[in-house]
Amino acid sequence: MAKAVIMPKAGITVESCIIGKWLKNVGDEVKVGDILYTYETDKASFECESTEEGTILAIFFNDGDEVPCFTNVCAIGKPGENFDDLKPAGAASAEAPKAEEKAPEAPAQAEARPAAESTAKPGDEIKVSPRAKALAEKAGVNASDATATGPDGRIIERDVRKLMEEGAPVKAAAEPAKPAAEPAKAEIPAPEFEDVKFSGIRKAIARSMTQSLSTMAQLTNHHSFDATAIQAFRKECKAAGGDVGGITLGDMVLYAVSRTLLAFPDLNANMVDDTTLRRFKHVNLGVAVDTPRGLMVPTIFNADTKSLLEISREVKTLAEAARSGAISPDLLTGGSFTVSNLGSTGVEMFTPVINPPQTAILGVCGITQRVKEENGQIKLYPAMGLSLTYDHRAVDGSPASKFVKELCQNLEKFTLLLAK
Amino acid sequence: MPKSLYYGPDEIRAKSTIHFTDIPVNAYSKTVQQERENFSDDELLRIYRDITILREFESMLTSIKTQKVYNGVETTYPGPAHLSVGQEAACVGQAYLMTPNDYQFGSHRSHSEILAKALSSIQKLSDEELLKIMESFLGGATLRAVEKMGKTDSVKELAIRFILYGTLSEIFARKTGFHMGLGGSMHAFFLPFGVYPNNAIVGGSAPIATGAALYKKCNDKKGFVVCNIGDGSLGCGPVLEALNFACMDQFHTLWGDDGRDVSGLPILFNIFNNGYGMGGQTKGETMAYDMLARLGAGFTPNQMHSERVDGFNPLAVIDAMRRKLEILKSGDGPVLLDTLTYRFCGHSVSVQNAYREKDEINDWMAVDPIITYRRSLVEAGVAKDDKFEEILAETKERMTNICRHAADKEFSPYADMTADPMVVERLMFSNEKVNSFGDQESRVLAPKEECPRVQQIAGKSRSAFDEAGKPVSKMKTFNIRDAIFEPLIDKFYEDSTLVAYGEDVRDWGGAFAVYRGLPDVLPHSRLFNAPISEACIVGSAVGYAMCGGRAVVELMYADFIGRAGDEIFNQMSKWQAMSAGILKMPVILRVSVGSKYGAQHSQDWTSLCAHIPGLKVCFPATPWEAKGLMQTALDGTDPVVFFESQRIYDMGEMFHEGGVPKEKYSIEIGDVNVIQEGKDVTILTVGAALYRAMDAAKELKEKYGMEAEVINLHSLVPLNYERIIESVKKTGRVVLVSDACQRGSFLNDVAANITELAFDYLDAPCVVVGARNWITPPFEFDSYFFPQPKWIIDAIHTRIVPLPGYVNETQPSDVEMIRRAKAGV
Repeated sequence: MAKAVIMPKAGITVESCIIGKWLKNVGDEVKVGDILYTYETDKASFECESTEEGTILAIFFNDGDEVPCFTNVCAIGKPGENFDDLKPAGAASAEAPKAEEKAPEAPAQAEARPAAESTAKPGDEIKVSPRAKALAEKAGVNASDATATGPDGRIIERDVRKLMEEGAPVKAAAEPAKPAAEPAKAEIPAPEFEDVKFSGIRKAIARSMTQSLSTMAQLTNHHSFDATAIQAFRKECKAAGGDVGGITLGDMVLYAVSRTLLAFPDLNANMVDDTTLRRFKHVNLGVAVDTPRGLMVPTIFNADTKSLLEISREVKTLAEAARSGAISPDLLTGGSFTVSNLGSTGVEMFTPVINPPQTAILGVCGITQRVKEENGQIKLYPAMGLSLTYDHRAVDGSPASKFVKELCQNLEKFTLLLAK
Repeated sequence: MPKSLYYGPDEIRAKSTIHFTDIPVNAYSKTVQQERENFSDDELLRIYRDITILREFESMLTSIKTQKVYNGVETTYPGPAHLSVGQEAACVGQAYLMTPNDYQFGSHRSHSEILAKALSSIQKLSDEELLKIMESFLGGATLRAVEKMGKTDSVKELAIRFILYGTLSEIFARKTGFHMGLGGSMHAFFLPFGVYPNNAIVGGSAPIATGAALYKKCNDKKGFVVCNIGDGSLGCGPVLEALNFACMDQFHTLWGDDGRDVSGLPILFNIFNNGYGMGGQTKGETMAYDMLARLGAGFTPNQMHSERVDGFNPLAVIDAMRRKLEILKSGDGPVLLDTLTYRFCGHSVSVQNAYREKDEINDWMAVDPIITYRRSLVEAGVAKDDKFEEILAETKERMTNICRHAADKEFSPYADMTADPMVVERLMFSNEKVNSFGDQESRVLAPKEECPRVQQIAGKSRSAFDEAGKPVSKMKTFNIRDAIFEPLIDKFYEDSTLVAYGEDVRDWGGAFAVYRGLPDVLPHSRLFNAPISEACIVGSAVGYAMCGGRAVVELMYADFIGRAGDEIFNQMSKWQAMSAGILKMPVILRVSVGSKYGAQHSQDWTSLCAHIPGLKVCFPATPWEAKGLMQTALDGTDPVVFFESQRIYDMGEMFHEGGVPKEKYSIEIGDVNVIQEGKDVTILTVGAALYRAMDAAKELKEKYGMEAEVINLHSLVPLNYERIIESVKKTGRVVLVSDACQRGSFLNDVAANITELAFDYLDAPCVVVGARNWITPPFEFDSYFFPQPKWIIDAIHTRIVPLPGYVNETQPSDVEMIRRAKAGV
C-alpha cells in the first residue's frame, strides 16, 4: 500500500512552509533518508528526508507552493499502487482557504429585548458617572431623574441623554418595553457652548424680570393701527432736515402716548404695595434702550409737557448716554409708564414685561402690509402693531384696551394730535 | 554553532589530561637600588607624591564624615564614602604606565583609582594638551573655578587641582562637579584622562569594561582597557560572565573574516584584592579559590596570564603591569591580575570593623606603603627624610585649599532645583539624532543588494492584503521580522560602529529569524553569537556605547531580562543622567515576548522596564510600527528596550494605509497608533493583544452596534497622552488590554493618568484587562491566562455599559476581585 510523506512542522510556531525545489521526480526510486525536496519557513531553509522507501508515485505540490504542515506532499509505494486516499484536499492551490471566512453574523439590530431597563435595584444609592453628571449639569437636568442603565445601577451618559430627549423623567417601572435601539440611539453629538457669567446689569435685569413675572398678573393686548399718517409726517420731517429731520416713528409713538395716557391714570401709575396705587400727575415716560451691556430704561420726565421735537431730542440724548454708560442713575428710575420699541427688528407682536413697580408697558412692533376694506375696495395699508402688557391687579382689560384704541386713533390722525 | 568549526567525537572523546602552568605569586623581588636603573629619582618620588595625594583625599573624607571638619574646614557630607585607605600604592602602580588612550573602569571603592589614573595622565600630557582639555571641559567652567584658588605657574599643578576639585565637588554633589554632582562618590570619572566610570554596583564594571574593550577592538582604537573590580565581586555572576565573554574563542577562531588579524580583547581584569567583600572575608569564608589568581586557569588555556602581585609595593605593580601590557599588545589578552592590597578603613565610614581584629589591621598598617616605600627610598638614597615631609606638607596644603573651595556653597553651589526644577529631567534622555558614530568605512562582506534576504523581501507584498482586499499568504507578506530587519541592515552600512550580538543571533538568524540574511553580508566583528550571558550581553553594550559606539543586543526572551537586571535597570538606564549628559547610550535591547513556551518563556515584562527611569520602551505590534520605531531607535542616542512578540512576527501590515513604505521613515517613540476610529468606546492596546482587541471591536460592531476606537500604544516610555485623552473625551469609556499580568501592569498607570486627566469625561471606570496573576500555563490553556476578545467584551459589559442579552463569563465580580487580591493571585 502506498504511503505519504508529509510536510514536517519545522518549528513550534510554523503553520506552513514553502517548497523550495523538488530533488526527486515521479518514478524515482527513493530510500528512507533520501532528500526529496527543500522547503523553507520565514526563518530558515530545510531539507525533507524521505520517511518511506519505494517509488515516487505522485507529487502533490510544486516548487514554490505553500503547504500547511502535516499535509501529504507526495506518495511513495510500488508502481501501480493506488494513492487516491493520500491526495490532500486543495492540493492544486497553495493558498488554503482560511477557516475564518465564515459568513458574518447579522448585526443584532432586530433584537427584541428591552434595552433601557433600569439596572438599579430599589433602595440603591443613586450613582452617576462623572460624564453623565457633567452632561446633566450643562444641560440643566437632574441626573438622578434618569433611568440608570449602567453597571450596578449607575446612571451613565446615555441615560442622561435619554432624559434630555424625553424632556421629563421616566420611571423605570413605567417604561414600556421598546425595541433595542441602544446604544446607538444614545449617541447625540455633545452640545457646544460656553458658559458666560452675568454682568452686573444682566443680573439686575434678571432679578427685575423674574420679580415682574412672578409677582404681577400680567396680560397683553395686541392692537394695530394704520401708519399711513405717521409715515407721511415722517417724510415731511425728513424733508425738513435739521433736528426735525431726526424725528422718528418711535418718537411719534412716544409723543402720542404722552398725550393719551393722562386720561388713563391707572396705567400711568406705580404699585407701591399690594394695596396701593400711586397715580402720577405727569407722564414720566420710560424708554427701553438696547445697550451693549443690556437693556436700560432711561426716563423722559414730564413728557406730557414736552413738544414732539423736545421728546425726539431727549430720547436721542438719553439713549446715547445709556449706550455710552455715562447716564446718571437718577434718570434710570422714576418712570410711570414704559415704551419698548422693537419695530425696527420686524417683530409683529410680543409680550413686553412690565418694569416694576409700573403697571403697564407698551410694546411697539414693526410695520406690516395689511388689507382693509375701504369704500367697498380692498386696499393695502401699512399696519403698525402695538402690544400693551398691563398688570391686571391694577387695571382691567376694558380701560387698558380703551387706552390703546385711543392711542391708535391719535396716531392715525397724528397731525390733529399735534394741533391739540 | 558555526559549520566551519568541526566538533567531532574522535578528538572530543580522546583520552588526555589538562595541563596547568604555575601561577606566580608575589614573584617580584627587586630592590629600589635595582629599580633605579628603570626609574629616575624624580619618578620614584612622584610615585610617593601620588600615594600621598590619594591618602590625603581619603583621610579628608574620613575626617569630614566622622568629625565634620578637615584641617580647619568645617563641612558635612551625607553621601556614601567607600574609601580605599591603604590601597593607594596599588592604584598608583597600576596607573603608572597607562596613557590617556588606555581606559580605566573603576570599582565601587574607586577614589584612589580615579585620582591615580588622572595623575598619571597629567604627567604624560603636554601643557598644551592639558590646557586644551581643561578649557574645553564644560566650557572651561571648572578651570575658571580652579584658577581662582590661588596662583600657580605650573600647568601640571593646575591640572592636579582641577582633577581634585572636579572629583571632590562631584562627591559633594555640587554643580561644579564633573557631572554636576549627579553621579557622586561612586560614579565620578573624567574621560579626557581615560578615567571611565566606576560603579556603585559591586563588579558592575566587569561587563561594561568588556564592552569598552570590544569597542576598541571592533573600531581599531588605540590603547587597552583596565577593569578594576574587587575580590568580593568574583562571587557575582556578571563578573564571571564578563571574564568568559572577554576570552571567547571566536576572537581567535572566527573573527578573521573581516580581513583583520585575529587577537584577543585588549582588556586587563585587575582585582584589587583587599581580602574582604564588605565584611565577608573572601579567603577562608565566602570564596573557595584560596588564591584569587587561580581563577584565570578556569577560563582559558593560557590561564589569562594570571598572577598575584603585591599591591603594597608600587614598584611590584608597575613591574607586573609592564609585562601584562606586552601580552595585551601581542594580542594574547585578556589578562587577569590579582593585586593584593588591604583597606585600613571599614567598608564605609559607617561600618565598624566588627569582622576583624584590631591586631590584624595594625599588622597591615605596619607595612603601610606610605611608610615602607618611603623608608626604602630613603635607604636607597633617593632622597632624605625632609624631602618626604615637604611632599606631605605640600599635599596637605593643596588638599586643604581644594576642600575649602569645594565645601564653600557660594564658590561651589548646588544645582538650584527650585529655580530650575528641570535640572535632572533634562538629562534623563539625550534625545539626539546621530546617523553614524563611525569614522571609518563600514566593514561588510558584500554589498547590501547581494544579501539574499534583501532580495527575498523585495518580492514580498508590503501589505497584508492584495489590491482586491484579499489576504496575501503570510509567507509572501512583508512581516514584522522584515520590518525590524530593514532599517537594521541599512544602519549596518551607514554606521561603522554598529554591532549586534546576543545568543544565537548569527548562524540561523536568531531564534526568530529576524537577522536571517545578515551573516551573508556581515563579518563576525559586527554580528556574533554571544555566550549565554545576559548580564554581560547588556553590560558590554553599555560599555560599547559609553566609548562612542552603537550596539543592538538581543536577549531572545523577555523573561531573560531578570538575568540582566542590573545591567538594564542600573547601568543602561542611568548613565546618561548620572554623567550629566557627558555619556550617550545608543543601545537597543531587543527582547521577545514568547508564546507556547510556558511559565519562563512567555512573559510580557514591559511594565518592569517602563517603571525604571531612563529607559525608552516600545513594543510595536504591526510591521509599520516596527520599521518606523526601529529606525528611530537606531538613529537616536538613548537606550531603548525594544519589545517584540513571537505571536505576531509573521503579521503583515493590516492597518496602515498603503502598507509599509519601502522608503526609510521614522515613528516618534511616544506617539500612539490610531488603528481605527470609533465613538462608543476606546480600546487601548499594547503588543499582540491588539489583534484580539480588533476581534472584540468587530464583535461589538456586528452584534451591538458599538463603534470602538482602537489605539495601539506602541510606545510606553515616553508616551504622549494627548490623542488618548482626545479619544476618551469623545467616548467616555476605556478598556486597556495587554498580555502583561494585570497586577502592576503599566496599563494601570495609563488608566490612573486618564482618570486624572479626563475624570469628568468618564462614563465608567477605566478597565484594565491583563493576563492572570499566575505562571503562564502550557499553551493549551492560553485562553485561560491571556486576555481574549471575550474578556474585553466581558469587561465592557460588566464595568462600562451593559450589552443587551449579553452574559459575562470572565470579568470578576467586586467580591471576586477582592478575594483574588487578598490571595495574591
